[in-house]
Amino acid sequence: MAQIIRDPQKNFHNPDIAGVRAASGKKDSRRVTAWGIAFTGAVAAVAYLVIFKRDPYLAIFKFLPDGIAVTFQVTVSAVLLALIIGLCTGLARISENKIIHLTASVYVEVIRGIPLLVQLFYIYFALGRIINIPAMASAVIAMAICYGAYMGEIFRAGIQAVPKGQMEAARSLGMTSVQAMRHVILPQAVKTILPPLGNEFVALLKDSSLVSILAVSDLLRRGREFAAESFTYFETYTMVALLYLIITLLFSRLTGIMEERINAGK
Amino acid sequence: MPENKAAVRVFNAVKYFGALKALDNVTLDIRYGERVVIVGPSGSGKSTLLRSLNRLEIIDSGRIIIGSSDINDPGTDINRIREETGMVFQSFNVFPHKTVLENVNLAQMVVKKRSKKEATHISMNLLKKVDIMEKAGQYPWKLSRGQQQRLAIARALAMRPKIMLFDEATSSLDPEMTGEVLAVMRTLAVEGMTMVIVTHEMGFAREIADRVIFMDSGAIIEENVPEIFFRNPQKERTRLFLDQTL
Ligand SMILES: Nc1ncnc2c1ncn2[C@@H]1O[C@H](COP(=O)(O)OP(=O)(O)OP(=O)(O)O)[C@@H](O)[C@H]1O
Ligand SMILES: [Mg+2]
Repeated sequence: MAQIIRDPQKNFHNPDIAGVRAASGKKDSRRVTAWGIAFTGAVAAVAYLVIFKRDPYLAIFKFLPDGIAVTFQVTVSAVLLALIIGLCTGLARISENKIIHLTASVYVEVIRGIPLLVQLFYIYFALGRIINIPAMASAVIAMAICYGAYMGEIFRAGIQAVPKGQMEAARSLGMTSVQAMRHVILPQAVKTILPPLGNEFVALLKDSSLVSILAVSDLLRRGREFAAESFTYFETYTMVALLYLIITLLFSRLTGIMEERINAGK
Repeated sequence: MPENKAAVRVFNAVKYFGALKALDNVTLDIRYGERVVIVGPSGSGKSTLLRSLNRLEIIDSGRIIIGSSDINDPGTDINRIREETGMVFQSFNVFPHKTVLENVNLAQMVVKKRSKKEATHISMNLLKKVDIMEKAGQYPWKLSRGQQQRLAIARALAMRPKIMLFDEATSSLDPEMTGEVLAVMRTLAVEGMTMVIVTHEMGFAREIADRVIFMDSGAIIEENVPEIFFRNPQKERTRLFLDQTL
């Protein structure tokens, strides 16, 4: 339903393609259905298990919310930090200063070449050697450093997608490069940046389950704890999987709506 | 503004793109109030010269003085110079994420620190001047190309420039829209604006120019008042160029 709002935004730069509406409407409604089936199915399954099967699902269901809260905490903090790192990296990657450019490029290359799990271990224990910070904080920093590199590439691509003349026009009006970036380039880049950024957010949410290996009590780790004590592995991981599914589906929908808003708004 | 004082002075400007010499020892003085039209074949360095005047291109050697500032001097605040030298591009470069009014307001508020009210007052007068006041609340894609270019002119004028640079401002417009944009430029000329105009519109050049400059291969080949330049060009290369275009 909300997908139909997509149309005016698609026509934003191109008011003459209203004819496309019918075709894209069909495709959108199919996507809504797929999402709807997955989401309703997951919610129904959880409800059925908890209400009608009760044992041990009700106990699992009561045990997990603490973990969900931690998963959110890790995800949101890591995303915010990664956004800052990503913006800086993106700007550095297009910088004319060779040293800044090279530093950022090496960072991106290195991060992209090492599996996230290995980075998590490495940063966790490396940080542990230098400073004693809580497991949660090192997990967040590790995730942010990793995702910052990917987001940096998204920012760079988004900024470079804005026509060169926009920067020239802004500069020729007397704006500094920072003013031009802030008022002219970034607001236009947001359109290109936001959809992949939404995907990164959902990806990070899923990857946050890796921090359960470090002593962080996220959703997955809470599940492992419950399963290990009650020996209900199948039942517990069924619930864990369903809850992850519901959360990620909700967030991919949410980023979708946010994207529509930004595009349809101005 | 002091008459006869140089608004622009270019001394032996040289600019390379790799091995290509885009500006070849260009020396040029432009007085306040003067309208200089630059013509020449494609690739002759007209845009490069114009863009060097507000440092969108940085020359490799020589000097460029705008008012009393050497724009390539590290001590010069280039942003102040750019406020004073409005630039109009062939591709308009209006800000698509801003309404027409916001396009004109933006730099006034960000650079000149004018209040929104003050900026809007100035903007509305300028939009009226370029005859798109009724479009103030619209986004640029709703405007015709000619209207977009007039918006770009209003946006530059909002900074109260002393000099206006036009780089083929009408080259991507059809004849009717070209007429609308040229009309705005004519108004500016009548008001005494110092203008440097790169154009292929020879009729307009003849009509508006105090002086016409012919460039080829990065160098100024010939310059003269339009009556002589067009009727009786002194150099063979100028004659060939004019024969091809007229
Ligand atoms: N950024 C650049 N990098 C490399 N070469 C360039 C660049 N800008 C311009 N040139 C080259 O410099 C020469 C002069 O270009 P310029 O744009 O100043 O010509 P012009 O007289 O404005 O031509 P036109 O009438 O086609 O606009 C051309 O050969 C062009 O290819
Ligand atoms: Mg040119």
